[in-house]
Formats: sequence, C-alpha cells, structure tokens
Amino acid sequence: MSSDGSSNGSSNGSPTLTLDGKVVPFETGETLYEVARRHTSDVPTLCYDERLEAFGACRLCVVEIEGFRSPVASCTTHAAHGMNVQTKTEKLEKHRKTLMELVCSENPRGVEIDPMRGHASQEMTDLAQRYAVDGTRFEGAQSGQSHPDDPNPMILRDYDHCISCYRCVRVCAEQEGDYAISIANRGFQTQITTEFNGFLKGSECTFCGQCVQTCPTGALADNRALQHTREPGEVELTRSICPFCGVGCSVDIMSKGDKLVGVRPAMDGPANEGALCVKGQFGWEWVQHPERLKNPMVRKDGVLVEASWDEALDRAAEGFRRVRDTHGRHAIYGVASGRAPHESAFSVQKFIRAGFGTNQIDNCSRA
Amino acid sequence: MAHINPSGDQELIERWRDQPASLLPLLHAFHDRDGYLSDDALRAVASGLRIPIADLYGTVTFYHHFARVKGGKARPRVCDGPVCKLQGCDELIVGLDGATAMPCAGRCDGPIPVLQDDEVLIGTQPGALTAAPPLVPPPNPGGIDECVFAEVRDPRRKTLAGYRESGGYRALSRAVREMTPEQVLDVVSGSGLTGRGGASFPTALKWRAVREAGGGPKTVVCNADEGEPGCFQDRVLMDLDPHAILEGMTLAAFATGATRGFIYLRYEYPATQGVLETAIEEARAAELLGTSVLGTELTFDIHVRRGAGAYICGEETSLLNSLEGKHPFPRNRPPYPVTNGFEGTPTAVNNVETLASVPPIVDRGAEWYAGLGAGEHKGTKIISLSGDVARPGNYEVPIGIPLKTVLYDWAGGAPEGRTVQAVTMAGLSGGFLGAEDIEEATLDEPSMRARGSLLGAGGVMVFDDSRDMVEIARQAMSFFAHESCGKCFPCRIGTQRLTERLAGVAGPKEPELWKAEVEDIGRTMAAVSACGLGVAAPGITGSLMRLFPEQVDAHVNGQRK
Amino acid sequence: MSNPLRDMEKPDAIFCIGTNMTEAHPVAAMRIKKALRRGAKLIVADPRKIPLAKKADVFLQLRVGTDVALLGAMAHVIVREGLVDENFIAKRTENFAALGEHLKEFTPEWAETITGVPAKDIEQAAIWYGEAANGAIFYTLGITEHICGVDNVQSLCNLVLLTGHIGREGTGINPMRGQNNVQGAGDCGALPNNYPGFQPVTDPANQAKFREAWGVEVDIEEGWTKVRALDECGKKIHAFLICGENTVVSDADRAHCEHALRSLDHMVVIDIFRTETADLADVILPATAWAETDGVFTNTERRPQRVRAAVPPPGVAKPDWWIIAQIAKRLGAPGFDYESPKEVFNELCELSPTYHGLDWDLVAEGRHHWPVPEKGHAGTPVLHIGEFPRGRGLFMTPSYRDPAETIDDDYPVWLTTGRRLAHYHTRTMTGRSVGTEYLVPEELVEVHPDDVADWGLEDGEFAVMSSRRGEVMVKVEATDKSPRGTVFCSFSFSEVPINALTGSGYDPITDTAELKVCPVRIERATTSV
Repeated sequence: MSSDGSSNGSSNGSPTLTLDGKVVPFETGETLYEVARRHTSDVPTLCYDERLEAFGACRLCVVEIEGFRSPVASCTTHAAHGMNVQTKTEKLEKHRKTLMELVCSENPRGVEIDPMRGHASQEMTDLAQRYAVDGTRFEGAQSGQSHPDDPNPMILRDYDHCISCYRCVRVCAEQEGDYAISIANRGFQTQITTEFNGFLKGSECTFCGQCVQTCPTGALADNRALQHTREPGEVELTRSICPFCGVGCSVDIMSKGDKLVGVRPAMDGPANEGALCVKGQFGWEWVQHPERLKNPMVRKDGVLVEASWDEALDRAAEGFRRVRDTHGRHAIYGVASGRAPHESAFSVQKFIRAGFGTNQIDNCSRA
Repeated sequence: MAHINPSGDQELIERWRDQPASLLPLLHAFHDRDGYLSDDALRAVASGLRIPIADLYGTVTFYHHFARVKGGKARPRVCDGPVCKLQGCDELIVGLDGATAMPCAGRCDGPIPVLQDDEVLIGTQPGALTAAPPLVPPPNPGGIDECVFAEVRDPRRKTLAGYRESGGYRALSRAVREMTPEQVLDVVSGSGLTGRGGASFPTALKWRAVREAGGGPKTVVCNADEGEPGCFQDRVLMDLDPHAILEGMTLAAFATGATRGFIYLRYEYPATQGVLETAIEEARAAELLGTSVLGTELTFDIHVRRGAGAYICGEETSLLNSLEGKHPFPRNRPPYPVTNGFEGTPTAVNNVETLASVPPIVDRGAEWYAGLGAGEHKGTKIISLSGDVARPGNYEVPIGIPLKTVLYDWAGGAPEGRTVQAVTMAGLSGGFLGAEDIEEATLDEPSMRARGSLLGAGGVMVFDDSRDMVEIARQAMSFFAHESCGKCFPCRIGTQRLTERLAGVAGPKEPELWKAEVEDIGRTMAAVSACGLGVAAPGITGSLMRLFPEQVDAHVNGQRK
Repeated sequence: MSNPLRDMEKPDAIFCIGTNMTEAHPVAAMRIKKALRRGAKLIVADPRKIPLAKKADVFLQLRVGTDVALLGAMAHVIVREGLVDENFIAKRTENFAALGEHLKEFTPEWAETITGVPAKDIEQAAIWYGEAANGAIFYTLGITEHICGVDNVQSLCNLVLLTGHIGREGTGINPMRGQNNVQGAGDCGALPNNYPGFQPVTDPANQAKFREAWGVEVDIEEGWTKVRALDECGKKIHAFLICGENTVVSDADRAHCEHALRSLDHMVVIDIFRTETADLADVILPATAWAETDGVFTNTERRPQRVRAAVPPPGVAKPDWWIIAQIAKRLGAPGFDYESPKEVFNELCELSPTYHGLDWDLVAEGRHHWPVPEKGHAGTPVLHIGEFPRGRGLFMTPSYRDPAETIDDDYPVWLTTGRRLAHYHTRTMTGRSVGTEYLVPEELVEVHPDDVADWGLEDGEFAVMSSRRGEVMVKVEATDKSPRGTVFCSFSFSEVPINALTGSGYDPITDTAELKVCPVRIERATTSV
C-alpha cells in the first residue's frame, strides 16, 4: 500500500480507495476529507473552509488509515490509491467527543449563538449538540478576550467565543489578501489581533466581513444584523446580486417578515465565491431608511407635494405630450439608470424610441 | 513618540534585506540597538521587508524573548526549568529587580543561569551572580571510546588551528578530493547514524532524499534550537568544538548537493553565536567555506540565525517557518523538508550532535562508529544528566548501555542520604521512569519505547525520594502549555487543562473522575495532536499516574475541602 | 471585460492602469491579490499611491493625463526588445508597419519628461508585460475620463495586439464596469447609437427589425449623448426623463448641469430618494429599490444574473418598468402591456443577438456570459478567440496631447477625482448606512504633506479649492498617497460638491468628461464652515 501521499492509478485508470468499507474513486491531489465529504456528509470539522488552504488545527476530521499508527487529519492528508480509510470508528468518535469537550470548555456556557451572527456561526453549536457536549467537562480558564471597546459598528469582536481555528486570519490573508488580522502570543494565550492589537478601523481591515462569515462560533459577528435580533419572525434568505459596483457579487438578503435585517455573501456566487466588500456586506440600511420616497410628488405652485399615482402619472405624460407637440419628438430626452435592473433600462429606451420615435436616450455611463 | 532613528533604520534594513532568512537577524538588529522592539521598529521592518504589519506584530509576540517595552531586553530572565526549580529559582526571580522567568536555558549541570541582555550569569543568590564559563564534560568516566567528545576537552579545539591539529577537516578534505557524494552517503549509512535530536531518523536516508529531490538551491540546516528542558549537550559541542559542526554541515552539503547552510541557534546561547561566527569567519578565510571549498567545485556557506525563544522552533518545520520569517507554527506533512523545506526547496535539517558525529565517522569509517554501540546497537549518544545526582553533566555513552551504569557508576547516583525516586527521559518528552525501569532499562530507543518512554535528545533529570512528583509533573506540563504553539486544538487546550489539574486549580475533586479526565485528555492529545509536542506532553501525566498513584490520589484528595 | 473575473487569478503579469480596484471593485481585486500570492508580477500605473500600488512590483506614478505617452513608450520598448508576438501580428492584426513608424519617437526617456515616470521603470513594466506567457490589462475610469479617453484605450489595445495577450484564459483587456448594471444599461440599448444588443440604429436592417417588433416608426439617426443633451437644454431639448441618476452631483460642472435642468419645460425623475436632482423635477415617481425588485443585472464580465425582491417597498413605490409603462400607455404608445419583469426581459432577449439564447428562467443562476446567440449555447466567457468583431485587430496611432486645461499661475495644482471604498457614488445609499458612514464620515482633499506646508495649509483644517468653474470648501488631509502638485477628492459628498470644479473638457468621440484632470487653486480657508 502506498502511504506517502502519492496516488498511483489503478489498472483501469482512476485511483480508488476504500472508505468505510466501500471502494470509491478519487482524483489525484484530493485530500481524504474532500473524498470523504463527497461520500459521507458527517466527518466533523471546525477549522475547514473549502476556499482556504487546509490547515489541520481542529483535528476533528481525523480518520484511521490501515497501517498507520495514529489517526491522521483527513483535511491535510492526500488520498492515495489503495488506502483503507475508516471515518467513524468508536475510537475516532471518542477522540472527537473529547476534542469537542475540550473546545467547548473554553467557551462561555449557556450562550445561544444567534444565527444572525454569521453564515458559519452555528458550526460549533451544531457539533456540540451532535456529541452531546455542554462545556461542563474539562472546566478551566477561558482563553478568549473580547474587544467590546472596538467602536466599529459593523464587526462585533466577541472573542470570548473564539476557539482559535484561525479561519478569520486565513480568510483575510488567503481570500481577501488584506492581512489585517493575525495571531498574537501562543498556546492558550493565543489571541486574534490586529497590528499592535488596535481597533479594526485604522488597521489594514477593509471591513469586507469575510472573517465574520467564516467564523464557526459567532465570535466575529455581523453587528448590523444583530441590531435586529429582537425583530419577530424567522430569518428568510433571498438570493440576489449586490447593488453596488459592476462585479456582481451574489448575496443572500436576510429578512424577517417585511424587515430587511442583513446581507450575507453567497458562498456559491460565481463572481464572488463567498466574498463581499464593506458596501455589499454592511451598506444596506438605506433600503428601509425613513427618507425613502413613499409617494409620487408633483410640483404645484413651484413646490413639490405628494400626489396619487394617477395624478402624478397624468402630469408626467401630459408634460411629455406638451413638449412633443410644441418642440417635436427630438426635444425629449431619456436617461436610463446603470443602477436599476434591465427591465428599467429597456423600458426607458423603448419609451423614448417607440413612444416618441427618437434615439435621444443615454445612460449614466459617461459620468 | 518620536521616531528613534529613521536613518539608522534604513541602514539596518539595507544590511539585511537581501540576505537569506533576513527577518530574524533584522529584528535582532533593532532589538539590540534599541533594547526592545518598538512599534516604529516593527513598522520599519514590515515596510523594509514587505511583510504585512499585523503578521509581523503577531509573529513577534510569539517569541518569548523579544521585548516590547523600553528597556525590556536588559531585564534579567531567570531559568525556571525543572532542575533550576530544585535550586530555588523562584526566590532568585523575586530577589532580582525586574526579573522574569524563562523556560529551561540549557545549563542544568550548574547554578541557575540568568540571561541579562546578551550575557549569561549564573548563581543562586541575587547579589552573587557570576559570568558563566563554558562547561567541559567530565573526564571520560567509562573509559569507552568516544566519538564527539573525544577531543572536546582540549581548549585548543575551539580554534581552526587546534581543530586541525587534532584531525579536524581531514574527513572533509578526503571527501571532497577522493570520494563521491554517494560514497559519503554509504559511509554514513553504514555507521547507523540516526538523528540525535530525538527523532532517530536515519541520517543517510534523509540526505539521500535531499540529494535525489528535484529543485534547488538545496539547504542544510543545523538545528541548534536546543530547547528541551534538561538537555544541554549541543551547547557544549558548539562552544567547545564549533568547527566539528561546520565540517559536519559541509559534509552534509557535499553529500546532498546543498549550497547554503543555516545554524538556527536558540536565543538563550548568546555567547555561542560569537563562537560559531568566529569559526565561520576562520573557515571562510581558509576556503573551507565559500564558492570553492578546498579548491574544489563545492560551493557552500553557512549563516547563523538566532532564534528568539520558542521551544516549538526545535520542531523542524516550525524552525523552517521561523527562518523564513513566517509565523512559527509547524507545517502539515507531507510534504517533508527533504523535498519542500526552506523556501520550498529540498532541505536537510539535522541536529548539532548528529552533524558533529559525521566528521569522525567519515574519517574513521562506518564500522568504527557502528562498533561504539553496546551489543547490537550502533554508535554513541550524549546524555545530559542533571537534577538530584552527584555528578551532573554530559556523558557520551554507547547506545544500549544500561541506564543504571551511567546514573550510578558514572554520575554517582542520588546525593548522600537520598535514593532516586524517578528520572525523566528525553528531557521531558519521555515522561518519567520509576525505580523498576531504572534498574532494567538500557539507553536505546527500543528499550525506552518498551517502557512507554523515549531516549529522544538524551536529557535525563533525576528526582530523589524527597520530591513531590505531582508538582514536578505540573512544572513539566506548565512548560508544555507555555510552549504549545496554539495551532492544534488538543495541544493548545489539552496542555492547559492538564496543567490546571496538576496544579489543583480546576477539575474533579474525586480521584477516579480526575484520572478519567486526565486520561481522556491525554489519550486524545497523544493520538491526534499535530506535532510531537502535543503527542509527548501527556507522557508526563500518563507515567505519573502509572508510577505514583498514591501521590496522585493524595493530590486530588488534598484539594477536597 | 474580454475575460471572466475568475481569469484574474491566472495571469503571469497583471497591468492595472487607472483603476483603484481595491476600493472601487474590491471583490475583483481579491482575485488579483490571489494571483500575486501565486507569484504573478503586478504593474500599477496611477497618479496616486493607491492601495494596489503598495502591492505592485513596479509602480508607475504618472502625471495625470499622460497615459498615451506612458503606453506608447511601453509599446516602443516591447517592439525594441523583440517581445512582440510576430505570429499573432501576422495572422490577426493590420497596420503594424504604421505603428512601428509611429512609435519611434516614443522612447522611454521622452516619456519620462512627459509622465515623470523613470524610463527604467517604464522599460521594466513593458518587459514584464511583454515577456509574460499570459498578460492581462485592467482599467477603469482613470483611462476613460479624459479628453483623450479613446486614445488611451487605443494605446492599451496596441499593447494587447503587439503581445497577443488576448483570446486566451488569463489574458485580455478588461475595463471594469463601475455600476452594478451599467453594462446592462448598455446591453438594453440605453444608448443614443445602439438598439439593444449593440445593434447600430443607423443600420436599415436594424431599423426594420425594431419597426416590425414594436409596430411603430423609428428614428433613423443617432441620438445625442447626455452631455450634448445637457448642453442643449432649453434650446433643443425641453423634457427629461431621468431614471435613478443623481446627475447634479455625479456629472461634471455642477453649475452648468443645474442650469441646464432648470431650463427644461418638463422633468420627470424616477428614484428611490429625493436626491439633489429630484429636487429640480416637476414630477417625482417613487421606485422600488434593490431588495424590493425582481429583475436582472449584468455584471462587468457580461454575466446576466437575477436580482430578487425580499421585502415590500415603502409606501406605494413601484418598479421602474411599471412606472414607465404607465406613462407610455397614457401617451398611447403600443407595446407596454407588461404584467411582470419577466415579460420585459424576455422581450429584450428576443430582440438582442447577444441575449438571444437566454430568457428569464435561464439567467436564474447566472451561468452564462454573453454573447449567447441561441438557446442551448453555453455562453462566451472569453471574447476574441480566433477573431475580433471587425476581423483583424487594427493598430491605431494616437499621439500625446495635453489635457483640456493645464496648470498655470492661477490654477497651479492638478486635481484628480475618484472613489473611496466605503462610499458609493453620491452617497445616496452608503451615506444612509451606519457602517459605511462610520468609516468615512466626511470628505477630505488629499494633499502631499510637503505641499500642505508649502501652500500654507493645515492638516485637518478647511481649504478653499477653486477652478475656472467654481469653488468648494473642503478639509485637508496630509498624505503621501498624493504626489507633490496633485490633489485628490471623491465626488461622494454633497457638502463638497467636487463636480462644481470639474468639466474642463470632454472626449470628442464619447463625450465622456475629463473628470480625472482639473487644474485648481487651493488656499487656506479664512473662515471655517
């Protein structure tokens, strides 16, 4: 059996290994975790994010390989042809339970993690439930140190819940490329830090929120969404596209009833693959801002006053008719928006072209 | 605060920027100049080397010895290793103004070492600290043929001339002029030499893997980060016989095809850095290093890089990350350093003692070295013996010799009126051996592993019958907790929880529950930790519970109010 | 963009010019940073030390408006060093000989005198781009918002054609679209010269197609650009329909713009807030916003994707398409009996060759890059494989010209404008969001610290900045992001209406305003605001 991580194809081409007694194919270069996840959904992990380089910190994904003395982390072990791998022996489950007891022992107990904190915020809670762990065994000192003093209104730095999986640090470096946060000290004294342990504003942080969304405990949390914790109702997600720049990041809009309560990046968004920037992530409160226009307005005696749709639409149409009749069809000009959807721009140009017979139409791309 | 000396900053950056493995020496340059690492210094280094400032800040805080407050570097650091604890280091720390503790500083065979700026002082009383002399191994007590210690007691050995007088560089000359790299590999292979730093991996196998690996430039790294408590043999070799290490590295370079070498030296050996650098200068001047070693086509040079206080950097992949200026977490393996080492290129990482053994092996032959071992075993190993023992010190022993021979016959056993209660093996990484084991064990890995222990780097600390073994275990676990890098969960949390339980500050008050918790934590740590630290640490609690169940029960019961 | 966003991780050499990508397109910039982790070379050209410049292997800090000189010199070096792709030039281009002749005088040393960029850096940049197996160019408004915007783009095209860095994965010439659906607005035919799908309005076949589709007579001549239309307000233009644009704040030369809109007989604004522009309207019609509207956006990589309503709109706000249809119907226009956005979008797909293979349901997951010529087509992630739209790529020979206005004794400082990460355009949205407002609560003019001292300004204090068109009060920030003699401001804050100053000139072909160059004078404010 090959044990050095190289994978030699089987006689018929694609390499295979035995996973919990079943022979399964894999692609050269795949890790055991990737292979296992395709075939069984329940190899647990807390430090894994498929967008990041495998790290091997939590050790929950350990598996047994025939011929190996100790279990190995499946996320950092490459599949090799002929391996005989077990993912769920009694021994492994015992180690996983002990690991969960250890990791829960350094988290404040009895705190429900609000799912509004972030995309991955339930991962630890879910695993604690699966292994029936409540954090009372292995009691001892707590390692996290929260930063309630950081005045930024976007990212809550509730490090009391931190389990030092470094997904935030890694996503900031590997995905976002900002290197704004890092690891201070070592061992149990480890803390997630910024340069000189300062606030996020003033550091290299661009508030993209990717750390928030990859955090498996909610230690980093979306503080804008959390403002709506008490809003009644369940959170609903609606897939959409960010309204700001032209990159077209896929988002899930979070709503409770009629209330917009947050935005989350779509991990499978083709343009962004789970990323957003500060505007897309945190800049959505304008939507239900009290200053939004709620009613049509028409100018009467030089002053804009609210009106019914019928009155306003009549006024709008009448003005265009008057100008067309007085100055001709080319005296009317339409400016479509580069911000509104296609149906808006298409309608504006059709309105100008078909409604008046002129090409006096443009959009805001020249400014 | 105003910037101290921006133009000086630039000079330091220019001095190091284009050197290999530049971060550590540049940080030391600022640390030495200012007496601490200021925020401005870190900003200058980050921009000079184009390292993200948050990363640099985090990495600097990883190391124990980088001072971050003004005047911090000059404050005394007092060794609080297990043996120095026996000597009263806690009182010394209290008595010395501004003093703090440092983990074992590798002078367990004498008075307590105190690192003050770049000077090592020794003593046990605050007012009576004296300069620390290099410690010469006791005269060959067994009268058995030695390998690395054969010549070191001669003070001339330290200079190039003296080294040559006693046969130094004869092996290298012969190798580069008369032998092929393949022949050198064969000799080393035949000698049975394995890694003396603790891993016992066959040296020739490692070198051959580097030789055969694609890509380059290839690198030889001498792991001189001797951080295991109770181990101090590498310091002696470097201080007394620096050229042996340089010659060993150059032979490694010849055998592997490497062109650059580093000695990664622990922070706690400041004088040793000078000794090594002087030796390197001498060797360069004599064309023993450089672009044409001894007039041949061999190109090889060596750079000394000083660590900054982190036990984990003795783990070879942490060491490589540290050299590269990265956060010194261990790397995931495979790939191994032999193919993806320093800056991703093939690298042989060897321990000091291993490298120092190579010149005599090449000089005198594989059979000679293999024959030095006892019985079936091949070669020798230095044992650093300390603690409650009459004659502490370094002893070069035939591998496979009975432990009791060294402990009692050579080193004189426990002090008068006491008996040996336990010894640690492999520094702390092999846990404890009790009286029965001491009677039967021989100093070789098979014998040790059969007893659930390790020979490892050869540190043996002796504890007599007056010692509280739970407290000794607590100190040991506290060391592992202090040195855990924080990357993998079982080690980061497990060492902390075990320390708390040994200290009696947390955990069950019922012995059976207490033991169940400690066993569960230990079992998982040993099985799934990412590197040797987390695997080895629970050896302490495991052997404690096995050998001293009454002391454990008393400890747990004593907490009950 | 000629290439998809995911390709940004793949080039060996990346040339970013006139794009402050980490602030204006942060998620796209992420991919460039990934390429750098992989070892790609980054060349950044910008008048300012933008965040991307810090990550560059070579940073070309050119004087504002000198791109043609810089790019010509790079082309000169690529030819001189023999880094041209001769096979590509022979098979896929024309007019190479003329370019060769034209480039002779564009030596790096000459360019240094114009751009201020050291000749050796220009050479290095050209060599890295020229040598790369896969080189890719990214640009934004720093290239186009000049009187020579077209020349700038042509100069970039020359680099691409010389090296053959096009039509393959990890290459291309990639303008990054600034607004979420500005690509879509063009796709939909909101242009004076094109029907939906970039079908020229002057082509009789296209006229016939739309005459038949809509059952009306169509115009046979191109319309005017918005810039020209604003010039004609009160003269030949008397009514405006403005949909979702804060023209007064975002366009150049605010005074001119306001005056123009005030001279109209009739002005209808469809928007979500009462913007500075809406204030001038006769009728304001409240629209549903993002998160309240179903529809389609097409992103910068030509990928149509669906947006969806998650919450109800405030008051009686309605979708744009409904509002416009209501007005159209009142005017008796046929073809506005839509009952859903799906019908509108599907009509677009029917009429547009680039969307012809798509429909409302097919864009649900955003899997296609247009053109998608027929149903079942997988889309076109990479353009220009094998052939250009006109057949062979044509080398053009643009020459350097000074900006419309140059600095003089009265206006001795170059002002350049742009965006900031935390804010979007005129802050209609981001100014009403807690987080983004926290990061950048006010506008600051960025001035080099030495200039701050020389000009008698003070960091954090107010200054008066004036141009030939207007003046603004703005707080000064001393920062070496700005080179000496050049200052920077965004146009996001209505309190600092920076476009009161701009508008010195327009590109003669596209009518795009020279927002990136405006000579100004800066003096310390005598009274604070």
